[in-house]
Amino acid sequence: MRFVRTKIQQMKGAVNPGRIRALAKKEFFHIIYDPRTLVVLFLLPLVQLIMLGYAMNLEIQHVDLAVVDYSNSRLSRKLTRAFAASPFFRPFVFEGGPEEIEDLFLRRKAQAALIIPHDFDRQMLRNPFGKVQIIVDAADPNAAGIIRSYCQRVIASFQPEAGAKRPWLVDLAGSIYFNPDLKSSYFFVPGIMALILMMISSLLTSVAIAREKEMGTMEQLLVSPVRAPEIIIGKVLPYIGFGLMDAGIILLVGMVLFGVPFQGSFLLLVLLTLLYVLVGLSLGIFISTLARTQQVAMMMANVATVLPVILLSGLIFPIASMPQLLQYLTYLIPAKYYLLIVRGILLKGSGLMHLWVPALFLGILALWFMGNAIRRFKMTVED
Amino acid sequence: MRVLLAVIHKEFLQVFRDRPMLAILFLVPFVQLFVFAYAVTNEVKHISLMVVDFDRSQESRKLIDHFVKTEQFDLKIVSDNVFRIRDEMKAWHVQAALVIPPDFSEKLVRKQRPQVGFIIDGVDGNAGIMALAYARGVLERFHAELLPTPQYASLLRQTHQAIVEDRMWFNPDLSSQQYMVPGIVVTILTIIPLMLTAMGIVKEKEIGTMEQLMVTPIRKWELILAKILPFLILAYVELSLVMAAGVLYFQIPMQGSYLLLALLSFIYLFAMLGMGIFVSTVTQTQQQAMFVAWFSMVVMLLLSGFFIPIANMPDVLQKITYLNPMRYFMSIIRDIFQKGSSLQHLWGDVLPMSTFCLLIFGFSIAKFQKRIQ
Repeated sequence: MRFVRTKIQQMKGAVNPGRIRALAKKEFFHIIYDPRTLVVLFLLPLVQLIMLGYAMNLEIQHVDLAVVDYSNSRLSRKLTRAFAASPFFRPFVFEGGPEEIEDLFLRRKAQAALIIPHDFDRQMLRNPFGKVQIIVDAADPNAAGIIRSYCQRVIASFQPEAGAKRPWLVDLAGSIYFNPDLKSSYFFVPGIMALILMMISSLLTSVAIAREKEMGTMEQLLVSPVRAPEIIIGKVLPYIGFGLMDAGIILLVGMVLFGVPFQGSFLLLVLLTLLYVLVGLSLGIFISTLARTQQVAMMMANVATVLPVILLSGLIFPIASMPQLLQYLTYLIPAKYYLLIVRGILLKGSGLMHLWVPALFLGILALWFMGNAIRRFKMTVED
Repeated sequence: MRVLLAVIHKEFLQVFRDRPMLAILFLVPFVQLFVFAYAVTNEVKHISLMVVDFDRSQESRKLIDHFVKTEQFDLKIVSDNVFRIRDEMKAWHVQAALVIPPDFSEKLVRKQRPQVGFIIDGVDGNAGIMALAYARGVLERFHAELLPTPQYASLLRQTHQAIVEDRMWFNPDLSSQQYMVPGIVVTILTIIPLMLTAMGIVKEKEIGTMEQLMVTPIRKWELILAKILPFLILAYVELSLVMAAGVLYFQIPMQGSYLLLALLSFIYLFAMLGMGIFVSTVTQTQQQAMFVAWFSMVVMLLLSGFFIPIANMPDVLQKITYLNPMRYFMSIIRDIFQKGSSLQHLWGDVLPMSTFCLLIFGFSIAKFQKRIQ
């Protein structure tokens, strides 16, 4: 019976904008009726942004360094002072032997230890090279790698004679483009935009549609004269609106509070953002056809859309460092392309001539996901 | 007692009846484990490099070779146009560029310290810092190769340089898996009790069955106990599975005591169950509950020291982390796993964590009311 009516409606032609508007209005009021949802939609992303903007500082400071000085000479004390002068280290003289260092690490009194051998003085003055040893608590391997490179830097510039320069062959003149102060907020504001847009467009919509199923109101909607595509469009429209508003607010706060620049074209950003939202919505609709309850929809959307944005898109972790197999998988992650686009436009002023490859990939994904979502949705509605 | 058993029975049926949910519950931690363990690394490798060599000499090629043969740099573009660097960076084709001036070899031979330019894309600050550090390392090795040759003997005689021999304790290969797996254990012990308890209780509100429960003669604590028991058990089952996968598949050495880990997990689980109950008292729909739970988890995770070292945060944020139970649990779990710390080393974390857990759980129970507002 329903099948017959769907056929009749299909003959009647296109979807009815009036009915879509009515449905969108209903969903819109449903969202804003509850102030809690608004808090959830607007306040929490901002809190996340501000925390990431301020807290995400991978530069390590104030490393507690235990110095075991067997040499106890002019040079060894000078080396200790060189460490103290660096902003990265807080050296302290440790009287115990190397076997007690493990205990220091266990009690987290030190993160690294410098061991200066007894003949350090003589070696340094007579030979070209004098050896020292550092021991790093590598329980956090990332921090350990950074601490090691800081130690190497301090030691490389250490010279026995005051004011002496290291005899050296080639100098390095480093310069930094696009983010000269290496501010982490530049990197994270676009990232949070990508994350929030995906959360709202896929996670919230799939849960919203699953909710109608769980409460049984989906069937009521389906037996009403509203057509299935109208239901979906009406349901997701308010979320697109909220998602874009959220992204706008995040961008604005990022620019005002963290001084994130906007170098590129606004129009290009809006267009490609819409494309990204479209991908997210298709994923959300696809998931909602698979899930019958909100909990299942939420977990699926989390695994299929939100986690990949955090882990596999280059939001925090560099894709080039992943194993090859995972790198291939990232080609399927829409956020990967969106991040290149939004970071490029905001921070580098990239235009379409630079970004056409990620834009093209995003477009292909949009078509593919949308096609699948529509097909799945038709299948579930018709039986 | 019979009432209690009946409610517990009902809750178990409710949780374990939902097959798709159960499948997801067991799938999610494993997907998380594998993706986290392989993808999550702050290591910076394979930086795409552009080389602009104006010198084109034997020496400049030797320097380029030193860059290319490391795992850190991948040579992508060779060009003689410095103005292309900016465009290639805008298109994300390269992240760093090495510029060798025309007089490089000439100055090098005369020991006049030639300068090479190294330009990095600063958008990813962390990768930028690492790229600069790697470039310095490459020059260090270039230097070390040239210095012993007779040509530079005079330079070697002037050299009085300290060099470092390094030892990495607890994780000699700096494997990030060894660091990640304990962290994943923590996220699993957070997400399951927190989110599922919150959504489970709110679901009853949303569907209207909460009212039916309220008119039954069960007492409040019985209802709460019945609600959290299935998730407590689920959390433990998943904990064991993930630990087994970590130890057997990823070969993560577990240095400490399993008993201590299970015991301290129990305390932490109660805090998360309590938070789940709390979230359910301040939300009306599952959608809200999910979002609030999700964000609390993200905030706790960010302030736990897992991704961002706490010592690097601004003072205000550092103080806030003391209120975060996950902060304590994260370092407890990591120390037990990697360093085999025992209770005597961990007191400083166990005490505040237990206090918070008691407070959170007590407060949530007090706030949970078995009646309709």
